[in-house]
Amino acid sequence: MTIATDSSGDFLSVLSKHAPSYLASTAAFARATRSLAPVAASGLYEPLIESTTILAFKFAHGVLVAGDRRATAGNTVVYERADKVIEIDERSIMAIAGVPATAWEMARILEHSFQFYRRSQLQEMSVEGKVRTLSKLLRDNLGMVLQGVGAVSPLFATHDGATGRIYFYDTLGAQFEAVDFTTTGSGAPAVRSVLHYVNRWSGRSLCTLGREESLLLALRALETAALSDTATGGIDHRHSVFPIIKLITAGGIETITAQELQDLFEGEVA
Amino acid sequence: MIDEPYRWVEAIANRREYIETELASGSPIVVLETREGLLALTLGGDRQKIFEIYDRIAMAAIGHPADIERLRMLALEVASTEGFTRSPGDVALRRLVSYSLAPAVKAAFEQIYNPPYLVRVLFIELGRNDVAHPSLLMALDYDGSFRCMIKGASPLASGIASTPRANEALQRMLTDYKEPASLRDACKFAARCWSASSLAGTAGESGIDPVIAPQKIEEHLREQSASGMLEAALLAEKQGSRVCFRKLTANELADVW
Repeated sequence: MTIATDSSGDFLSVLSKHAPSYLASTAAFARATRSLAPVAASGLYEPLIESTTILAFKFAHGVLVAGDRRATAGNTVVYERADKVIEIDERSIMAIAGVPATAWEMARILEHSFQFYRRSQLQEMSVEGKVRTLSKLLRDNLGMVLQGVGAVSPLFATHDGATGRIYFYDTLGAQFEAVDFTTTGSGAPAVRSVLHYVNRWSGRSLCTLGREESLLLALRALETAALSDTATGGIDHRHSVFPIIKLITAGGIETITAQELQDLFEGEVA
Repeated sequence: MIDEPYRWVEAIANRREYIETELASGSPIVVLETREGLLALTLGGDRQKIFEIYDRIAMAAIGHPADIERLRMLALEVASTEGFTRSPGDVALRRLVSYSLAPAVKAAFEQIYNPPYLVRVLFIELGRNDVAHPSLLMALDYDGSFRCMIKGASPLASGIASTPRANEALQRMLTDYKEPASLRDACKFAARCWSASSLAGTAGESGIDPVIAPQKIEEHLREQSASGMLEAALLAEKQGSRVCFRKLTANELADVW
């Protein structure tokens, strides 16, 4: 008996062969939501302004990625400890802004796709390949976006061994590489202003900042966003709920501990 | 021909003899429990023989490269699908081998008109530091039969070899492994076990005493090192990562000789 296997390294085709019911249920959900969206019938669509703030910038040793912790449904705060900065592999991070169900599922598929490719092909996927894989997932989600549900606007940050790289996407999958920084979400305008000011007029560009300076800047930028955007969670130091901040360097990914963020906050931000 | 049952039995016996002949030149694989984790070591050169299957599962094989690749891909696909549709913690070697791989290999062996898998595989799973999830080795043979070795009071020490004589020499050497050693010492010991097994395998059934003198083991290891390369991998807990598999570097293997 010959067992047919797929040597292309494509995890989605493996999933369709071994777990077709999983993909069938996803397609069934997409069909069911068609009746809920008047937007598609009108021929117009408005991108959802997602309730979050995520940011990424290059610093002296690599890339810093940070995200707030709040999840909202309209005016209601649903959760204050959401993790929006997700490690995909040893040197890649995806920060999510958008509908959590879709975003987290995309992150899961991305993580499994990269690992499956590495294990099956015995080499890591190139940075360009990783960037395009996420782009394809976003494109495949187009139907949900046009119906007004499931829009996702992520950031993707990685380190290619020599330098950090940051990419941002629109909800239809177009990818753009950021030179210095990028931010997305409902609190993004405030963060963009802060990072642009620092990068342009502070006397030191972002890519020259050291580790502690970068962490401080990320904390202050998110706290600034939280002041004007109710959908962005600020720093709740009483309950030790701090933003998630991760650093990607040539050595891998480091998650900044709550204790270190608390010490920084008490000393420099509060 | 197959309408007669005894013809089928004869065909199976012929298959077994054919596969054993094809596997006879394979390079042995040694697995040892070390203080850091589970070490797998072999000597090859022309192709990779130790592979990562999932976060805590690795595979090492003797046999035809194309069949090893087919089985490896199947194991990868089943493990990855399970890890995605349920969770990475639900991927278990015992279920992977018992319910997916062994039935497929057995079916291929018994279907007379189709080619069998020319492989002998050793799967390795790193346990989780609790009694319910000990480290586990599973040896899967070309006829679909498999045996399990579970971590108990004594350290895990096992391997697979190309012939019964090579296997006997290997198992005899492994009885001297009483305690988990450091990675460096375990690599040295594993290399000597490999050498003894390889020497016994090349000697054939000529009646050479399977208890091989240490000097011959060292000489054989030096001879083989000139033409082949040591390949070793470790399954060990890594902080901040679910992935436990890593290949040992040339520096880590430098003083094995």
